[in-house]
Amino acid sequence: MVKSLTAIGVAALLLLGAALFEWGFVGTQFREYGEELHSLYRKADGGDANVEDAKAVQASWERRKKNLHIWIPHNDISRMDDYMSETVRLIGEGEIPLALAKLEILIHLTQCLPDTYKPGIENIF
Amino acid sequence: MYETNSMILVMIRTAIIFVVLLIIMRLMGKRQIGEMQPFELVITLLIAELACIPMADASIPLLYGIISVVTIFILHEIMTLLDLKLKPLKSLISGKPSVVVNKNGIDDYQLKKNNLDVSDLIESLRSAGYFSLDCVDYALYESNGTFSALPKQDYDSMQTSLPLVIVDNGKFDENNLAITGLERGFFEELLEQQGVRKTKRVLVLTADGTGKCYLQQKGEKFRTFKAEYPGGKTW
Repeated sequence: MVKSLTAIGVAALLLLGAALFEWGFVGTQFREYGEELHSLYRKADGGDANVEDAKAVQASWERRKKNLHIWIPHNDISRMDDYMSETVRLIGEGEIPLALAKLEILIHLTQCLPDTYKPGIENIF
Repeated sequence: MYETNSMILVMIRTAIIFVVLLIIMRLMGKRQIGEMQPFELVITLLIAELACIPMADASIPLLYGIISVVTIFILHEIMTLLDLKLKPLKSLISGKPSVVVNKNGIDDYQLKKNNLDVSDLIESLRSAGYFSLDCVDYALYESNGTFSALPKQDYDSMQTSLPLVIVDNGKFDENNLAITGLERGFFEELLEQQGVRKTKRVLVLTADGTGKCYLQQKGEKFRTFKAEYPGGKTW
């Protein structure tokens, strides 16, 4: 009885601890990356963005995704990778309207992807 | 906007699947269970898949498998505690033993409740070493699906020849009729002599090579009687 209760308690605490960490960590990563994307978007929209700016945001994403791989499905990360690479190329080639469209998708993904991991009815079923 | 938690999601989903599978296993009856409590069988079914899918699919973080397995472990421990400490919940979670043979014969209701039929019962009896239906006083399926029987004192002397099922739930067993080498009409006549007007009313009729017959009509007590086979047939 005591052994079972201890085992339940320890396992539940481990899960709860990991869940709390994930709550903070994944949310922060997407929020901060979203802010970086917004900043790049504003620069690109104002005609000030260059390929170095885009590469800096990409490098930031590369750093973040290493840890995100532990917590979220790898296919979701791969989608972000694809759009980020296209954005860098389009900004480098001066195709700003197209780059803005890709950035809008990326910003949307940073908002909607975390929603798909929320413990809501729509995600449970 | 960023309140994300895939771990909680995985835990909730695992718990839901666990409860649904447990209910389904309980509804399926004892046929599906083999020497395990229903919740143990559910865990066995789930744990292999939960461990395998993230292992084989590189797009799913391994952590999801670990979370599910740990959640299953917690559920198992809770179920075990409930099973041991709360008697009313024990029967709800693990089920109750079903007495399928009593002093009146076969309990058809209990058989149906567990999705079993007379031939399943006879098979279980044979596996337990009892070849004749009348040589046991009681027989039951335990909550984990295992079969137990209480034989009559002199049951060994009752098993002199292999009884064959002639009528099973109102229908003649043509294969066994062929083994006996007797006509269907002979048994129909035999049933008439025993006051059975319609074969449909017969739950089971068995006959062994010495002429001993076991007859039970639906909702009635069983009876045994001796029959004379034409031409002194035996098996």
